Amino acid sequence: MKLQTKLTLFNAISKLVIVTLFILLLPNIIEKINKNYTDNRLVKQKDKFLQKVRDNGIKYYIEDGDTYGSYLPLKEEFISLEIVNYDLDTIRDERRIVERDTIAYRILSHTFKAGKKNYLLEIGKSTETIGETTGPLQNIAFQILLGMILLTILADQIYSNYILRPLSIIIRTKLIGNKFPKVTVYKEVKTSTSDFQHLDMSIHKMVETIETTFQKEREFISNASHELMTPISILQSKIENMFEQDDIADDLKVRLLEMQKILNRLKSITKTLLLISQIENDQFLKEDIISVNDLLQDVYEEISIRLQDRNISLAMLVIDNVELLGVNKFLLFNLLFNLINNAIKYNRPDGEITVTGQWVRNNYTIKITDTGIGIAADELPYIFNRFKKMKQSLSQDSFGLGLPIVKSIAGFHQIGIDVVSEKGVGSTFTLTFPIKLTGNAPIL
Amino acid sequence: MNVLIIEDEKALAHELEFFLVKNNYICEICYDGASASEKIAVNLYDFILLDLGLPDYEGLDLLREAKKANPEAACIILTARAEVTDRVKGLDLGADDYLAKPFSLLELQSRMQAITRRKFGITQTVIDLDGFLVNITDRTILYHVNPVNTITKKEFDLIAYLLLHKNRTLTRAQLSEHIWGSVINDDYDSNFIDAHIKNIRKKLSVFAPADWLETVRGLGYRIKTNV
Repeated sequence: MKLQTKLTLFNAISKLVIVTLFILLLPNIIEKINKNYTDNRLVKQKDKFLQKVRDNGIKYYIEDGDTYGSYLPLKEEFISLEIVNYDLDTIRDERRIVERDTIAYRILSHTFKAGKKNYLLEIGKSTETIGETTGPLQNIAFQILLGMILLTILADQIYSNYILRPLSIIIRTKLIGNKFPKVTVYKEVKTSTSDFQHLDMSIHKMVETIETTFQKEREFISNASHELMTPISILQSKIENMFEQDDIADDLKVRLLEMQKILNRLKSITKTLLLISQIENDQFLKEDIISVNDLLQDVYEEISIRLQDRNISLAMLVIDNVELLGVNKFLLFNLLFNLINNAIKYNRPDGEITVTGQWVRNNYTIKITDTGIGIAADELPYIFNRFKKMKQSLSQDSFGLGLPIVKSIAGFHQIGIDVVSEKGVGSTFTLTFPIKLTGNAPIL
Repeated sequence: MNVLIIEDEKALAHELEFFLVKNNYICEICYDGASASEKIAVNLYDFILLDLGLPDYEGLDLLREAKKANPEAACIILTARAEVTDRVKGLDLGADDYLAKPFSLLELQSRMQAITRRKFGITQTVIDLDGFLVNITDRTILYHVNPVNTITKKEFDLIAYLLLHKNRTLTRAQLSEHIWGSVINDDYDSNFIDAHIKNIRKKLSVFAPADWLETVRGLGYRIKTNV
């Protein structure tokens, strides 16, 4: 979820919760306020009445042994006066029957002395009239508050959109879909928020560092390649020229040939190391389209002589043939060549190799199984390390770069490699292709 | 044929010259871009072998100059730089071929021959080897009138390369570099040239013994022919 959506959601929810709480509490609050107000009024009326009693004398209102009572026609208020022999000074809710009607009142009861007698004054105010206002008040408050909430949410939305815009620009232009390395010119994202300025600058600096490192690596590869390849080239030409001299004896030629072989070995190692660096430095294009069948056929043509040499049978079972898109044909060829070549080299004579290409759930896989010497479990984690040679493979004339090439080519194409091996039984290398290279699996 | 060698590594330039002179080319050498630029402007060449990594000159600029002043010349780029884009750029600028160092002199010669053939419109190259008619351009072999179609692509490549350098002993290393040059793998000693030659001989012997395909003991192979 986007930051802005989260903020807006939180704002809306928190406001709604607060307002709902307020609306729910509103009757209580109104009741309290009303009660207070009513009580105050009752006290004031009492004071006013007592003042009148003092002014006019008690006899004006009440004869001896009599009671005095008065209420409004609708009975929402009443006043009564009677002689009692106790003291009281309270305000409380009580029900009274007035002319057959039971009505809830807020009643102030107050006793006072006038002459020699103790009088009880009661002033009541119907609580029904008090509660009447609560409902409409609650309604109006609810509507006003809801309107205000919507307004503030809108305002929040607009403001957060405005204030977060630099962030979304940073994310959109500098992070999403960015493939490193790429040559970029720094474009400042305009913002007055210092956090975003900092973020923008930091991302820019990081990208710049990555780019410089890539650039440096690229220069290094280019220079190293030049420095290493040039002397090899000179030596190779010299040997080739000497080899053709008529006045060189045959036994010398044999030694020249040995030199040529060793030079070739040096050349292969250098070329392979440079190739791995180039792959890891992203210097290859991935624009070829080739079907698995064609690719395996190409490999087969190159490799069949090696099969024949060791009398190994190779079964190609391309159960599902797919077009690989956006790949580097040269590199994929070399990936498969090296895996199958290993399956030949580390096989037993008259052994077997099975290459299977098929969909396994959602991913296309190529599986290469041999009946060879296998890899010991403790050596399995190291087989992709450069120049790492396994104990049982020491007799083979390789320099331990076959699987590192495989790994870097697979990594370059985001192809997964799994190895299952049992010593003395054989190994299975499984390549799992990402959907990006094959498209989705057909629905069966 | 006039060849201009532009190469700042003197030792390599000399080997190139030695090799080409022996193969009847007339060579001039430049060790730097400035003098090469002058030579290109004044003289006409059939071939310009250009090292891209010159210390004083941007190699691709020199290629542009060469294409302008010497439009007839075939330019072959020789480079030890590993930039993949260099190759694309060079060929885009009109280079006729591109050889990454280290390359075999034989490979250079066969590329130069291929360019010459292309240029002079030699479309049919049929060579008669004791009745075996090898057509380099169509990549076919006939024994008199009977097609020899058991020969694989790799095997034909081998025959054609040996034929291109006929009467010359080619080592296993040279042959395997030619036919497996683009395969990157970690074997350094195993080459399967012997197995290939054995297969070729077997397939040809169905028609007639291929005595012209000679094994030079301890050294390599050679096609011997007078034509």
